[in-house]
Amino acid sequence: MQKPQSYDLVISGAGITSAIGQGVPAFTSALFGGETAFREMRRQGRQRPQPAEGSLYLGAELESLALPDRITGHKFPSASLSAQAALATVHEAWHDARLEQVDPQRIGLIVGGSNLQQRELLLTQEKYRDKIAFLRPTYGFAFLDSDIAAICSEAFGIRGPCFTVGGASASGHVAAIQGIQAIASGVVDACIVVGALTDLSYFECQALRSMGAMGSDRFAGQPELACRPFDSESDGFIYGESCGAIVMERYSHARRPGVEAILAFSGWAMSMDANRGPECSLDGEVEVIRRVLQQAGIEPREIDYVNPHGSGSSLGDRTELQALRACGLSHAPINATKSITGHGLSAAGVVELIATLVQVKAGKLHPSRNLENPIDSSFRWIGPVAEEHPVRAALNLSYGFGGVNTAICLSALR
Amino acid sequence: MTVHDIFNLIVKNTREVVPELGEHAFQPADRLRDLGANSIDRSEILIMTLEDISLAAPLVQFAGASSIGELAELIYAKAAVL
Repeated sequence: MQKPQSYDLVISGAGITSAIGQGVPAFTSALFGGETAFREMRRQGRQRPQPAEGSLYLGAELESLALPDRITGHKFPSASLSAQAALATVHEAWHDARLEQVDPQRIGLIVGGSNLQQRELLLTQEKYRDKIAFLRPTYGFAFLDSDIAAICSEAFGIRGPCFTVGGASASGHVAAIQGIQAIASGVVDACIVVGALTDLSYFECQALRSMGAMGSDRFAGQPELACRPFDSESDGFIYGESCGAIVMERYSHARRPGVEAILAFSGWAMSMDANRGPECSLDGEVEVIRRVLQQAGIEPREIDYVNPHGSGSSLGDRTELQALRACGLSHAPINATKSITGHGLSAAGVVELIATLVQVKAGKLHPSRNLENPIDSSFRWIGPVAEEHPVRAALNLSYGFGGVNTAICLSALR
Repeated sequence: MTVHDIFNLIVKNTREVVPELGEHAFQPADRLRDLGANSIDRSEILIMTLEDISLAAPLVQFAGASSIGELAELIYAKAAVL
């Protein structure tokens, strides 16, 4: 890949829906305050029937979801939770970027994530198992992940390419990289990238727990302590419902009244481990970081903030720190967004791009929750309190099952 | 269960599927297509109504109805046979 021109591609708008707040202002406030929403999950279909005591799945769920009047959920009565979250989130990003001023033929939308609506599919299957003749016809297209892209296309009148891409927990980054390439190739002038809400059912929760990826046995009765990436007591990731949307475009195209672009994409990279399984790879992570720095044309010492993947997996967290050290990045301030939001799976890559954006804008880094004994204390951790810190060059990482490694470099425009 | 009851179920389900009709004063002569219900909406409304009265019958049997009133009559007749 060629090095992009300085400030060529920027983030011109953002929207977010998360368990710690809906909308960028609420999210930002909760992020800097380290406010979390972890508990034993209550959404229908999240807990297996008759769970044993102490075995409830932990996570952070949306308390409510406000849909804007103009696109009111009434228009899409069969929209899933994932689709409704996308509608609300894209609506915020759309207005932030003033996309009403852009030709809808030149706008695209890429949804990051696959198999997003598992919980609703399970509920439908349970409801109609014994009366299949009455299954709603809309299931015939609502079961598709692409329904989320289609609903957004209709709601906002988007006429450019709208589609989904998947890369497990790196899906948000994979979508962002696709968006960058769509603009670079001239297919669209503005691209909305959605890290979609992965709506887990108890089937996924159970399998993720039994494979050792999802916590937490250790903190079963203390949900507020369970999510602790990079801490020596962590025993897996804790799920957090979330959806993020960013608008990306060329800097020259984004210069519309009311649009504030403060962050540019300076590099992006994706590499595979050639491994179907969930294991991480030090070599793969080192490779993707080296590639992204090379593409961005910056030295490791110039990176002054790392927003890591940091899921809370013991091996994953250790490997990530080893890779950062091997790449000369152990000097950079680092925190763990997932310690506050939980792991949004498909959403995570975009949610963390937005977390980086709001930190750059504020000149401040958010705290890391529950980081009591870092597994490597020599890193420059942001602990329990937010710290003032102007960021010029940030590195954001996402990793996914199936050997997916992605990295994005961002530069502050100020 | 009377024809009128079934008519009311169709109205309830139509309002759920096409919320814009929330304030519409439904008449038996109303045609779903004319009210803005597309083909998916219409099959959705029919299935929901059949589910309400637990009548499992092929949808094609109701294709001849030209209005909500006729549809209510057809469903009523089919339910009465079973």
